[in-house]
Amino acid sequence: MNPISSPSPLNRLGTSPVHPRPPPIAIHGAGSFPSTPRRQPTSRPSTLPRDSSCSSLLSALFAFSAPRYNFHLFPRDELNLGMPSYSFSCQSSSLTSMAREGFDFNACIYDGITYSSRAQESVARDRNPVPRMRLMTSSSSPSVADSVFMGRIKSRVETWWKACRDPGKAVDGSLVLSLRKLILGGELYGSRPCLGIDVSSDHQVQLVLKVVGQICDDLVPLIVPDKQGEIKTVRLILTSSEDDKNLLLTEIQSLEEEEDLKVRGFREVLDVISRSHKPIIGYNCLHDFTFIHSKFIAPLPPSMAEFMCSLRLAFCEILDIIHLLKEVGPLRKANNVPAALSYLRRQFFTPVELEIPPQVDSNDKNHGHNVLQIAYLFAKLNNLLKIVPDHQPALEQDTRQVKDFANIFYPCSTTLQDSDDEDIGSQAEKSKKFGTDNVVLLWGFRAGISAAGLKRQLHGIHSVFSENFELQLVDRTCAIVIFHVPGSVENLLEDMRSGSIGSGSLKEMMSDGLKVTGYEAYKKVCRMGLWEADLAESLEMVSSEQTDDLPSNCKNDTSEIYWSSELMINLNDI
Amino acid sequence: MRKQWLLCVLPKTLTLARRSHPFSSSSSGGGVAVKKVTKANFESTLEDLRTRVREADFVAIDLEMTGVTSAPWRECFEFDRSDVRYLKVKDSAEKFAVVQFGVCPFRWDSSRGSFLAYPHNFFVFPRKELPLDGPAYEFLCQTTSMNFLAKYQFDFNACIHEGISYLSRAQEAEALSKLSSAYENELTNSTNTSQENLEIPIVSTADLLFTERIKNRFHEWRNGIMKNSCTDHYLKEEPGCVMSQFQTVFFKMRPAVELNGFNSHQMKLIQLVLRKHFEDLVFIRTPGEEVVFEKKVVYTDSEEDKALLMREVLEDLHRSKEARVRSAVGLRHVIDCLVSEQKLIVGHNCFLDIAHVYSKFFGPLPSSIMEFALSVHENFPNIVDTKHLLNSSHALQYLMKKSSKSLSSAFSLLCPEISSYPMKSAHASYVKFEVQADEAGSSNWTSGAKHEAGFDAFMTGCLFAQECAHLGIKFDLSSPLTNLATNEKLKGYINLLYPSWNSGTVIDLTTGIEKPESNYKRKYPTVLFSNIVLLWGFPSKFKPKDLKDCISKVFGASSVTSIFFLDYTAALVQFSKKEFVNDFLMLKDTLERNPDDPISVLNPLAGLLEGDNTRAADYDTYKTICSSSASKVLFADQAEAAGIRWKTLFSSHSPEAGSSAETRLHSHHVSCEDIIDTLYAARSVS
Repeated sequence: MNPISSPSPLNRLGTSPVHPRPPPIAIHGAGSFPSTPRRQPTSRPSTLPRDSSCSSLLSALFAFSAPRYNFHLFPRDELNLGMPSYSFSCQSSSLTSMAREGFDFNACIYDGITYSSRAQESVARDRNPVPRMRLMTSSSSPSVADSVFMGRIKSRVETWWKACRDPGKAVDGSLVLSLRKLILGGELYGSRPCLGIDVSSDHQVQLVLKVVGQICDDLVPLIVPDKQGEIKTVRLILTSSEDDKNLLLTEIQSLEEEEDLKVRGFREVLDVISRSHKPIIGYNCLHDFTFIHSKFIAPLPPSMAEFMCSLRLAFCEILDIIHLLKEVGPLRKANNVPAALSYLRRQFFTPVELEIPPQVDSNDKNHGHNVLQIAYLFAKLNNLLKIVPDHQPALEQDTRQVKDFANIFYPCSTTLQDSDDEDIGSQAEKSKKFGTDNVVLLWGFRAGISAAGLKRQLHGIHSVFSENFELQLVDRTCAIVIFHVPGSVENLLEDMRSGSIGSGSLKEMMSDGLKVTGYEAYKKVCRMGLWEADLAESLEMVSSEQTDDLPSNCKNDTSEIYWSSELMINLNDI
Repeated sequence: MRKQWLLCVLPKTLTLARRSHPFSSSSSGGGVAVKKVTKANFESTLEDLRTRVREADFVAIDLEMTGVTSAPWRECFEFDRSDVRYLKVKDSAEKFAVVQFGVCPFRWDSSRGSFLAYPHNFFVFPRKELPLDGPAYEFLCQTTSMNFLAKYQFDFNACIHEGISYLSRAQEAEALSKLSSAYENELTNSTNTSQENLEIPIVSTADLLFTERIKNRFHEWRNGIMKNSCTDHYLKEEPGCVMSQFQTVFFKMRPAVELNGFNSHQMKLIQLVLRKHFEDLVFIRTPGEEVVFEKKVVYTDSEEDKALLMREVLEDLHRSKEARVRSAVGLRHVIDCLVSEQKLIVGHNCFLDIAHVYSKFFGPLPSSIMEFALSVHENFPNIVDTKHLLNSSHALQYLMKKSSKSLSSAFSLLCPEISSYPMKSAHASYVKFEVQADEAGSSNWTSGAKHEAGFDAFMTGCLFAQECAHLGIKFDLSSPLTNLATNEKLKGYINLLYPSWNSGTVIDLTTGIEKPESNYKRKYPTVLFSNIVLLWGFPSKFKPKDLKDCISKVFGASSVTSIFFLDYTAALVQFSKKEFVNDFLMLKDTLERNPDDPISVLNPLAGLLEGDNTRAADYDTYKTICSSSASKVLFADQAEAAGIRWKTLFSSHSPEAGSSAETRLHSHHVSCEDIIDTLYAARSVS
């Protein structure tokens, strides 16, 4: 229930920057939540490939031309800093289904583009020793020690500068030259003379920069950090003229940029999208954006609200097609893109066609396909719902703006497998809402028992279990129980703790190891990222650690969870 | 038909496409035919391999994994305590996947005077082949390891698309028990056909129409059978209608109808209709091609006949499921074969390999290294490590001189005539090898390359045979080889493994006891674990030197023996005296209890405690954190995931600390001396 906590690999992402419309995004990851259907990518650090399709919309013709980009990503540790990730986890079932779709793992791992998040980039900048230029920050008046230091530096730099400038001595023999080099400590930076000044602190760097500024204009200071990222030297490079200086500056700049690009890798693409402020379309894309956030922006924040905030800063408008589909009544139940498309094709006339450019590698199934379908579906829906881009004047009365639909996500909708199955609507929406204070987790029962069997066993063993309650197995070791009567949870937890449960089967089950805990413990397990495969193991760890504060936490937590009656067991069925 | 190639002529006769790899090192082999085994040719290879293993004198193995350490601080350090080191190996074996398994049986052919080798390279992928409701298989990949594999042209596509899956013994047992309990359940369910759920929930008119239609259809069909008339005319009557799928077949000597082309909702309705209106028609599912079930409706004569049919069907189902479990066991058949044949197993630095084999194919790894060693010994009575042989035999050490003990360099040094072409005149001291390959199915043969499990296993085996020769074991023409495992000259080397490359110890698998290795040159002085404090969460600007300075100011210049940083968030500090450990922990606790006290502010340790997140504990806590299943990159995060909330933990067994109540009392009682000490210390800082 806490998709935000786990790190895992993306492997492809499709984007389609549309003129003037949004880029649709689709991602494939190498793992997924244990209980969700395939196609749902997950977490733990790494990204394999991505594909992105750029399509431009010619508004007059209502046709897309869609050049597509297929990026393969792999979290390569180029700088040997354990970034973008030291390791990542794969779910074998996800890899298998990617394999079935013809995914090329060799291409991905051999040649995948690396990337780093914005947060990682700044860390890498600190730890990757690349010489940089730095602006002088205004500082307070220098102390005595500072003045002494500055004086010393000044005389040294001036001596060196004069020696370099003085053409008269250029005729000296090589011995003299090399001697002078030895004494003055001069080196060469490319073809230009340069001088290294050792510094021990950031403050001294500022002082050196100040001194250099006073001496002459044709000196370019460059700050050189050591392997640990600490600044050890300021290198002064002497340029021969204004033009030469500019040349050097651009040289250094491009070097820096090259280095930065190497670190950023694929994130450059995302930055371009982000900077464009174009709306982005995706299908059921909340999950995709948790990936994008954790791989390219920063580690995921602890709460959903913070995540949404942070995401909006990077991408101002995200349109989830699922939300648009809900706007078109009959499409509400279309649970995948092909189904929605085929329904649209049958029921509505939308004058939008998509020009798909000829496929070069038509032999294997193309991963950019998803993105094209999403773009196509979006175009059709756009037309149907009369959505116009924000900056274009509304031509008709009942048009709506992109922003009316943007940034609405569906956290718990699961994508069903793609199939062109015609019977949309056989599944009715039957989710109910429950407060987490009506929920307990139960473990320590016989492994492998069926939900119905467990429910039968529980029925009547405690007063709370005689009322109506619902039960579902989370895995084979743990079950979740929802009570309809408020206060049942506290009753049960209190009675189990105090041991005032009378006699009979509950006591017997408890002595067999039955345990109960509130929803808070589950939340904690999710947060801790434990590796135990059985939920019971993890719950045992969490609850043994602090039994006291669980019930109290339970009370002040008012969040709600969704309970789908599809999964519900009716007592009458047993 | 089989053809044998002598190694020296291999490059000329073998016309396999060589794998292109950028390493022209002589040790890359490049010409040895290694059999590539994937899902497709697994079954056939297995039979063949069984015979090869049975005849073999020893079997060399090698594994390729997706990674080695799940976090930087989990790397093996020289000064790790034995139990901690085992926990690290255990963590690695549990989290990473095996992607290639190399097996190479070697047989001495006395008539030829050479070893016959059969290198096999199994591609492995832990696919979930059984629809069990267990957790999804998940494994870690270390990016550097993946890069390493990629560098040596590892074929990830073959691995993921075509890799052989497996079940451990524990998993197989679970699957089978689940199966039999499900079988019993269904058996009891089928016998008591109760009257429940007979009402057909009609949701729509379409459903209503459908059920009526189906009902009529089955009536007609049944009547037709009762009348023993031909049923074909039904098809002719209404061609193209929904019911055209109805065609009488025979199932277990009974007339039946196959249900095709209905969706799951319709299937449900059909079942309801049958149960409500037709006592003698039974809906059954039989295992069909692949995973899909074939659904049929069968006519039965009587109640007894119906029960009989149900039992038969269930038995069939059960048998087919059992067969699926057997096939899902996959690669473990190879391991089972190695275990049952009790052959001498040869590996190169193979402790981690064995741990992987254990966790993947036997069951969960035991919690202690001793249990692990004994349990491994039960399964593999004879394991020999070629690296240990190299290091501990004086004769071999003399030969190796100072060169690297890595597999490929040892191989190229000791077995030069295999690793380099053209072959020099065969020297008497070199053991001869021949690689055998089938001619048929040549697409499954690749020419071996370094860091491919099959070829590495081959190299390991060659290295072992050569080592044996140097130890004085004679491989003579026309004399059969006696059992190597019981050979006197090898006796001192068998069943001794290195727990890690830098442990400086060997573990004896027969006794489970770890002993220091005599030849190992330690980089660090011996570590006294009771003198160690584990520190983490301190300000990231702290470097080892800062830490040492900081502590030395309080406890004296010679108080700190050594400092080791696990990563930049955690360090192990070894004190010169055991008492310092507790003194340090107590002082830290005192300072944290009174953060605004001038004494605390002035104390040199205050800098270390900055950020209010610095935790400290004894060495046992390090073990606890290592045993946590979480896998965070930074040690400080790991400690949090392991559920540590306290700031300072006193070792429970040290006499000074006593109970926590006592320490609290102690820490609040600050004497004059303490104050003076602290002030003095503070002055020495400024």
